[in-house]
Amino acid sequence: MKKLILFLLCMAFAAQAYAQDLNYYEVLKPQAGMSADEIMKIMYHNKYSLFARDYALPDSEVFYIDKSGFTRKKLAERYRIVMGGKDDVQYKDLVVVTYPTHSKGLAILTWTYEDPDRDQDVWLWIPSLKKVRKISASEDDDAFMGSDLTVEEVSTRRFKDETYTLLGEENFAGYQFEQTGEMKFQGKPCFKIEAIPKKPHWYYSKRVVWIDKETGGNIFEEYYDKIGKVFKTRFIQWEWYEKQGRQYATQTAIECKDLRTGHRTVIFNRDQHYDEGVDESKFTLRSLQRSKW
Amino acid sequence: MKKTAFYLLFVFGLIIATARTASAGAVSFGDLEMAGYLKNETSWKMAGGLREFMKVKNIFDLKMNYKFTEWLEFFTEVNYWYDHTFDIEGKYQDIVRSENNVKLKRPTKVNEWLRDCYFDVYTPRLDMRLGRQQVVWGATDGVRILDMVNPLDYREWTIKDYSELRIPLWMANIEGELMMNGHLQLLVIPDYEPNYYAPAGSPYALRTVVAGAEASANPFVTVTTIDERPGKKFENTKIGLRWRNIVESGVLSGLEYTLNYLHTYDFASSAYTRTTFGPGGVNIQLTRRAEQIEVIGGSFSKSITKGLVGDILKGWTIRGEIAYIQNGAMNYGTDKSIAGTVDVDQLLYALGFDKVFWTNWEFSTQFIQMRYDSQEVFDQDQYTLLFGPTRGPLDEVENLVTMRIATDFLYDRIKPEVLIIYGDDNDWRISPKVNFEYNDHWTFSTGVHVFEGHAQHLNGQFDGNDQVFFEAKYSW
Repeated sequence: MKKLILFLLCMAFAAQAYAQDLNYYEVLKPQAGMSADEIMKIMYHNKYSLFARDYALPDSEVFYIDKSGFTRKKLAERYRIVMGGKDDVQYKDLVVVTYPTHSKGLAILTWTYEDPDRDQDVWLWIPSLKKVRKISASEDDDAFMGSDLTVEEVSTRRFKDETYTLLGEENFAGYQFEQTGEMKFQGKPCFKIEAIPKKPHWYYSKRVVWIDKETGGNIFEEYYDKIGKVFKTRFIQWEWYEKQGRQYATQTAIECKDLRTGHRTVIFNRDQHYDEGVDESKFTLRSLQRSKW
Repeated sequence: MKKTAFYLLFVFGLIIATARTASAGAVSFGDLEMAGYLKNETSWKMAGGLREFMKVKNIFDLKMNYKFTEWLEFFTEVNYWYDHTFDIEGKYQDIVRSENNVKLKRPTKVNEWLRDCYFDVYTPRLDMRLGRQQVVWGATDGVRILDMVNPLDYREWTIKDYSELRIPLWMANIEGELMMNGHLQLLVIPDYEPNYYAPAGSPYALRTVVAGAEASANPFVTVTTIDERPGKKFENTKIGLRWRNIVESGVLSGLEYTLNYLHTYDFASSAYTRTTFGPGGVNIQLTRRAEQIEVIGGSFSKSITKGLVGDILKGWTIRGEIAYIQNGAMNYGTDKSIAGTVDVDQLLYALGFDKVFWTNWEFSTQFIQMRYDSQEVFDQDQYTLLFGPTRGPLDEVENLVTMRIATDFLYDRIKPEVLIIYGDDNDWRISPKVNFEYNDHWTFSTGVHVFEGHAQHLNGQFDGNDQVFFEAKYSW
């Protein structure tokens, strides 16, 4: 009997431990005096749009550019509904590729769970099969859709995957956005945080993250290899999206550079909308099957 | 004339494709969206030093979608092609002289180049797709267990994607949402087409077709063939029902399962023979009958998202499928020789396992078993059931294993993969290939198909068809 009670208490504690620490549907910003952990929790809250009930991105453009300048492009639509922990689901995502034609129609439905130790459930609509296929979650260090970003960087990295140290506060030196030639965010006040992965022998030994004090978003990251050399950088343009008096921190552009190969991936997210009342039925297999291409 | 029309279409497609080269996305005229491709598929037989073409096919494909409103769309796909092999290779020229066989070179009827053609009606809880379409059931790849809604075109055996082999049918496909992730699908299929089998003498003529042609060629044998197809009557309508659900909570959370029922006709007609002896020799009346069958089954897919103990089995996806087919019929006899036809029930099932290793190496394996249960008595000391495609002896239990390994390099631009299919009669096929994405429009593929085994078995019947292939595709 005592062992049973102890077991149940452990389960309850574990459930609490991985439950969402920050409230869903709340807009949060970092404050002066916060610890590295508190700042990073807000960053993940914003990264996965957990401040909104739903999210629609009908126009996402991805460029793959090698060092010679040779460019390929992908277009996609993306939708998300934040489930708030219902049935342990944190959020559901639907991504539909609309270009190029040989990938057109490829649709990916993902359920992400509150339990940080639980992989996502992923379903794929594959046009060449004309059916929905359950697939194994990609390895986290695999390239996301052939880009310079990994699956972990885009969708699976969670707060508990790293340990954090606040290195200080500084005004960001600015980032030369190669795709447009603009200097971005020069002088922006930031928290500077070192993040070390808990996974042994991981694809990076540490990363240094600049967190914008205003939006709480990670505007710049440097990835270090085993010998302490920067091998990859990632810039994210965070902007405010306003709706009915609420401000949502949103990613409008990303540029990720692999310094070893000279290849970079650039993403533009346009025409984003939050809290438009996207229905949960959009994130079902029936919705995947509507794809025709 | 038709060749000219095809090349005019090909050039038209090239013009559209060129005009769209610098543009993003498919061609769009308001609510009309178009996309398509031009493709060449060429293969050479390996026997004899790559001197014989097995395929020189040029394909024009165009998909169009028109959005009337948020809830009403029209979609169509036309796919026109010309295979020059039958012009180039002298050994095939006689086959296509027959009017029935011109379709080996190019489509001859509308339903041979019109792929999909349907209206989509969307409501909050009900989707309807009305028209010519494919419906795919099942959780396995490359094997037909529950995937029995549409017939197949076997002119190239099964070396192409099934979406290209399936023959679309006119049907009503209605799917209703009874629970958030629980959907009931109803299929009403008044249309019927049998499987298409390439004639004797063509590159992928099934052994059973060749055996039939050999019998017909005997000067002392007269073969009369009667095709019994289901008439276009209401009572011959095929009906399908599928319940699909995803378990949302509990230990089985994320488990997707289906329960399936299909009342249909077997697309592989059963052969009934009646032999009489006359003064001129032997008269064989061959009746090819599409049997009305009932298919009952189900499938499931589950990804192990959390290790059972530690990380054990985490990352694996397990799939399964089962179908019980009632009221079918099969021939019995000796190799290539039909002695009679009996009612046979079949039980087919498969289990599949998928996992990604070493960052981006995908492994997918499937175990398939097929059980044949004769419902009538026949002399099993002298005869066995005969395998439809080859007319070879069939065991009561047949086993198949498939394995697919795939990876990618150079930012997903180079994608090698290999598919291995192995039957328990030491019969196998191995198909390695590489896909290369040159840019947003051009993709190339090259590879090999190797068939080994005895002629009586699934892939062994094409031992001798080992080939190298190359494909170039321009999409817009």
